Amino acid sequence: MMIALLVAVSMLTFGAMSLLGDPLFNILGPVAGDTENPENLAKINAAKEQYYLDKPLPERYVRWAGDFLTGDFGVQFSTDGQPPVANLIKERLPRTLRLMVMAQILAVAIAIPWGVLAASRANKPSDRISTFTAFLFVSLPNFALAVILFYVFALKLDWLPDTYNATDPFFGFTHKHRFTQLLLPAFTLALPTASVYQRLLRTDLITTLQEDFILMARAKGESRRKVLYGHALRPSLFSVVTIFGINAGALIGGALVVEIYFRIPGVGTAIVEAVLREDFPVVLALVMIIATGFVVLNFLVDILYTFIDPRVRR
Amino acid sequence: MTDTLKPTDVEILDASDQVPADSIAKKKLGIGFWLAISWLVFIVGLAVFAPVLPLKDPDQNFIQTEEKENAITGRVTESPIQPPYAPSGDHLFGTDSDARDVLSRTIYGARVSLVVGFAAIAFGMLIGGSLGMIAGFFGGTFDKVVSFLFLVLLSFPALVLAILITTLAERSLFTISLTLGILAVAPVGRLARAATLVFAEREFVAASRTLGAKPSRILRREILPNVMIPMSALALLGMGVSIVAEGALAFLGLSVEKGSTWGKLIRTAVNSTSDLENAPWMAFTPIGALFLTVMALNFAGDRLRDYFDVKELSI
Repeated sequence: MMIALLVAVSMLTFGAMSLLGDPLFNILGPVAGDTENPENLAKINAAKEQYYLDKPLPERYVRWAGDFLTGDFGVQFSTDGQPPVANLIKERLPRTLRLMVMAQILAVAIAIPWGVLAASRANKPSDRISTFTAFLFVSLPNFALAVILFYVFALKLDWLPDTYNATDPFFGFTHKHRFTQLLLPAFTLALPTASVYQRLLRTDLITTLQEDFILMARAKGESRRKVLYGHALRPSLFSVVTIFGINAGALIGGALVVEIYFRIPGVGTAIVEAVLREDFPVVLALVMIIATGFVVLNFLVDILYTFIDPRVRR
Repeated sequence: MTDTLKPTDVEILDASDQVPADSIAKKKLGIGFWLAISWLVFIVGLAVFAPVLPLKDPDQNFIQTEEKENAITGRVTESPIQPPYAPSGDHLFGTDSDARDVLSRTIYGARVSLVVGFAAIAFGMLIGGSLGMIAGFFGGTFDKVVSFLFLVLLSFPALVLAILITTLAERSLFTISLTLGILAVAPVGRLARAATLVFAEREFVAASRTLGAKPSRILRREILPNVMIPMSALALLGMGVSIVAEGALAFLGLSVEKGSTWGKLIRTAVNSTSDLENAPWMAFTPIGALFLTVMALNFAGDRLRDYFDVKELSI
């Protein structure tokens, strides 16, 4: 099922790109239209042969798919083929992954205490306020949140650096510097995610807190803190775990925007640059990698689901 | 002497069993819902009537001048002040760095943003809704094919799919709306299919069938009105998502090439850090409008969903 899905995704992407775009034009530039001049005609034919453009579409797809599976993602049209797309991805992907992992860790770190606090004071004013705050964060588009956080923390309060544009935040800096540079982008991604997690955790925790074993723990005289974090939290994490995979897609979309705004040279920046230059092999490879990651992650979450909750196994 | 318990006794036995006042009140839409709707009506009204309202021309440059005395000659001359200008009585939300009125640009931007949002969700409703309903009603191979198609569409992260389509087509108002509409097809279609599956089992559908109604009539007259209820909540939420998606595309420089949208206004306002620092009103006016609109749509959709108790709705 997963494989069929990925094949369909790749065919759709490949077909759309090949039919709607004119790759030849992107490789050769204006020369591509000039079939009169024998010198240019020779160039065109050479390029066609090199990139298999003279072959019918299904054959091109099979060749591309074969190359893709063996890790050969083709060449970048816009840079005369050097460096190949695989190198670009090797360079850009870890940065985006790093940003996303950081965002997820931050989101969980914010969501757990926030959710526990809200659930332990369910329907009291402080809980109402926290629900409303969560709602605000969910409604705030991530590009707007990026601007607001940047304005407040980098420009007005000056707590965090505002010089993302000056250099690549990944080279020539210490670990600490890289961390502070990524903090604001990661927070931008983490806050809406944390709000979603918080809402789920709150609902589940309220249910758990009505269980008998919580009453038992309270009766033993354990502290409120111990009851909440030691007894109630773990059985309530179920929904949060399952939303992890689903959220990855939203996070990737958010990462595109955030990378562009904070000028982080990751996958998001690469994909937008490639789109604007109409560099099809790069777009194709990146879209496929993102879609594959997304599908695989959701598949893994499905499996994880059956491990956590035996009822799903039926 | 009777053994039966009166309702009052039960209350005394366990006070915690009382239905909390909260869950009774839940069946009202509440004042928040109507506030949200009012804001939406207000912003739509502004957008629709923008040309007739007493607004400043969004493209005019309102250069302000000041009298300056030349230090050497002592002559007093009128010289232009460098925009952007801060909010004042003349320009309630200030001007941008080309001395254009931010408020009227934001209102004119609403025209494009709202049209894109509305057109996108309308397209998603029409295509996704009909596909989902037909698939759910008839089942079989068609259902399998459509469900797989929805799954394929959902395996692209939405923004990536939007970027992919905008790469391939020219970026006009029509293609952007269509792109976001295609994004809406799968979520809407899945909900329509799920709701149709539920209603197709119900007695009134069986009754209609027994009376000899054709499937097309059952779909139109029996199922559609019922499926429309959860769909209306999704339409509000989906419009919010579409407006945000348009904003994100605009932020990446991939939205409509002509005309201004909220996303494009924000993008131009934050392009240089010094503009953001010195003239924050340029960015925060469109952000505020966008935020309030999306929040109103989300809130109204959420309330409507609770009101009709739709379980299978999620984005």
